[in-house]
Amino acid sequence: MSATEELARPAPSPPALTSPSGMSTGVGVRSAYRTERRKLATQLPCRALALLCVLGPFAFTAILTSQTGSPSDTIFGVWVHSSGFAIPLVVLAFAGSWGFPVLAGVLAGDIFSAEDRYGTWKTVLTRSCRRRELFVGKVLAAATFSAGLIALLAASSLAAGLLLVGDQSLVGLSGALLAPGRCVVLVLTSWIVSVLPMLGFASLAVLLSVATRNGIVGVLGTILAALVMQLLALVGTGTWVHGLLLTSAFDGWHGLFTTHPFYSQLLVASIASVAWITACLTAAWAILRRRDFAGTPSRPPGWRAPLRAVVLSTALIAVLVTAGSWGPTGVTAARLTHSIAPTFSNLTLLQQRLVGRTGETTANLTILAHCGRRSGTSRGPGDDWYCTVDALIAQPGAVPFWGTPITYDISVKSNGCYKAEAPPTTVGNLLIRDSHGHQVVNPLATIYGCFNTI
Amino acid sequence: MAPAVHASGLVKRFERTVAVDHVDLDVQPGEVRGLLGPNGAGKTTLLRMLFGLVAPDAGSIELFGRQLHGPNRFPLDGVAGFVEDPSFYPYLSGRSNLELLAELDGAGARQRIDDALERVDLVARARDRVSGYSSGMRQRLGIAAALLREPRLLLLDEPTSGLDPAGAREVGVLLRELSSQGTAVLLSSHLIGEIESTCDSFTVVSRGRVVWSGSVAQLRAQAPASAYALATSDDERALEIAEIHRGMRARRSRTGELEIEMMEQELDSYVLALGRADVAVRRLELRLSPLESTFFALTDGEAPHPAELPPPDEAVLRTA
Repeated sequence: MSATEELARPAPSPPALTSPSGMSTGVGVRSAYRTERRKLATQLPCRALALLCVLGPFAFTAILTSQTGSPSDTIFGVWVHSSGFAIPLVVLAFAGSWGFPVLAGVLAGDIFSAEDRYGTWKTVLTRSCRRRELFVGKVLAAATFSAGLIALLAASSLAAGLLLVGDQSLVGLSGALLAPGRCVVLVLTSWIVSVLPMLGFASLAVLLSVATRNGIVGVLGTILAALVMQLLALVGTGTWVHGLLLTSAFDGWHGLFTTHPFYSQLLVASIASVAWITACLTAAWAILRRRDFAGTPSRPPGWRAPLRAVVLSTALIAVLVTAGSWGPTGVTAARLTHSIAPTFSNLTLLQQRLVGRTGETTANLTILAHCGRRSGTSRGPGDDWYCTVDALIAQPGAVPFWGTPITYDISVKSNGCYKAEAPPTTVGNLLIRDSHGHQVVNPLATIYGCFNTI
Repeated sequence: MAPAVHASGLVKRFERTVAVDHVDLDVQPGEVRGLLGPNGAGKTTLLRMLFGLVAPDAGSIELFGRQLHGPNRFPLDGVAGFVEDPSFYPYLSGRSNLELLAELDGAGARQRIDDALERVDLVARARDRVSGYSSGMRQRLGIAAALLREPRLLLLDEPTSGLDPAGAREVGVLLRELSSQGTAVLLSSHLIGEIESTCDSFTVVSRGRVVWSGSVAQLRAQAPASAYALATSDDERALEIAEIHRGMRARRSRTGELEIEMMEQELDSYVLALGRADVAVRRLELRLSPLESTFFALTDGEAPHPAELPPPDEAVLRTA
């Protein structure tokens, strides 16, 4: 039989190429998502991160409880020995600075470039799965693991705090005591609202992974971007650029812990996060959609593309530094004064109750505060803020008593949160003895507070 | 019935290099077509375009009558295979890799994993990590991954690369079996012998262009002389007989070996003539088959000197 005759032989009818509707639909995002989720779950870095998220908070809390010191530079840091609820908040504050960008980088920074490294793009793209389905599946898998690790870290931190420290009430950012039930709600809410900026970093990692096809750039680039954002938050007095920074978005939860909660910063943080997610994923998809998977390039990558990226990044950072002062100033002397006075009042009453004096109430305690900066105009974030606080205690039938003015040295951040410290000669030592003879934290020694910058 | 592949006027440029230059290609259901060409001829780029991995700069591709590229690109249902080496996730086992791919293939693919592993003889090593696989095992896993899709069009790039002769023969048998069931196969290979024994037809590409396309029978009809290495009891006499024998050329190589070039059908009469002249044939090796000769002629490649070619068992012509 000749080849032509062989070709003419009848062939069995092939199965339909299309669905009954006439359009082949592909296996869909769900299959792509399940595949990517399984791949991530089997990778050692993801498993190691999950283990770290579970065990890390317990180890951290165990170390803290074994010593008298506390991470007082971190918000709620001085309360880690007094309330278990401070533990997840300290972990959250620290993770917002470094932990989340690292998690996002490791989870998402290599999710696309790994296909380049293993040469598997041609394997997965020649199945019944569209390119966009694969893209969405990968992004959803990265998002799921990001949110999952946040949930693990939150649950583990809360459990470690409650088990190793206890469920005592927590001093809020206005100096008022927050009951355990309310603390649980606020802690969980704080972690939940951190998911959006985390997804923002994951999206940035996805973009780097797609654009550079290099896992190292995807992971380290995300961490480097977080570092640059941290530095940008220290530059300038304006709120426009600061509000757009993903690292600032991790601070949105602070407003929940004040006596009069403010949500505008949380709203801005959410909008900024969504903007980052949208921009990064749109750019990543645009790159992937147009990409030719033509195999290993015959020529090694030149130095022009990396150089161009470095020059563009430097220029962008320079613009952002310049733009750091654009927009209204969120940190002003008036706002700080307005915040610290009631906070100091609440903490004074708390201190008095701790030492067994229950006579004073907010009704007979008047606080007068005056805040300013030691250098320059009294606006913008900085470490050279001070507040002088006067306490007037009104006693029935007696001349009101004026205490010695106390001057706090204050470090104010661009997000409106501050840490105030006064010398022990005026407010007492960091640790004092309560009415039962126990050593407790002196609420007036270190004050954490936050005010709305918008 | 619509052709499995109908490519028309395909062009692909990479910067200033034209990788594929106005290529037309048709593969019918049930046909096994070989795609042959030297290094850089554009075979792999062509396969990548058929898979939708690379968008053509010009031209169109229809798979089973449906346009492949464009904004409404459909998923590659019923199309399977691989380009260059099959690639898998090295940190997963062979089976886990197939399970992942089956997930991307949709309904039914998962149930075919055991059968596919059995067909490529990988059951015993299926739970080992792919990072420990030899290149031949990866090749077999690549074929298994293609079989999961119950393909109606198989696009294979050097499928027997890294396989031992028995494995390569099994792949040939498998491809013939699939084609008998109506599967169209486009087979890119550097093994001319493989093309000859497995394919119904083939397309030769050179410098991005199709330089020949037709059936094996058509090729044989226009094939030039084959080249042989000959050792006899009396080489001088064998040379004299060759000089008077019509349609053949004979000479001594630089190593002193006798080389003859002749049409395949003339070989019998020459050997008989040697026997009649009491010249014993001690060794007669095919060094360059008609298909190989044709390939070199079509692609402007210089055929290697027969003496430089390996013995027949290893006589594989590397063209890609």
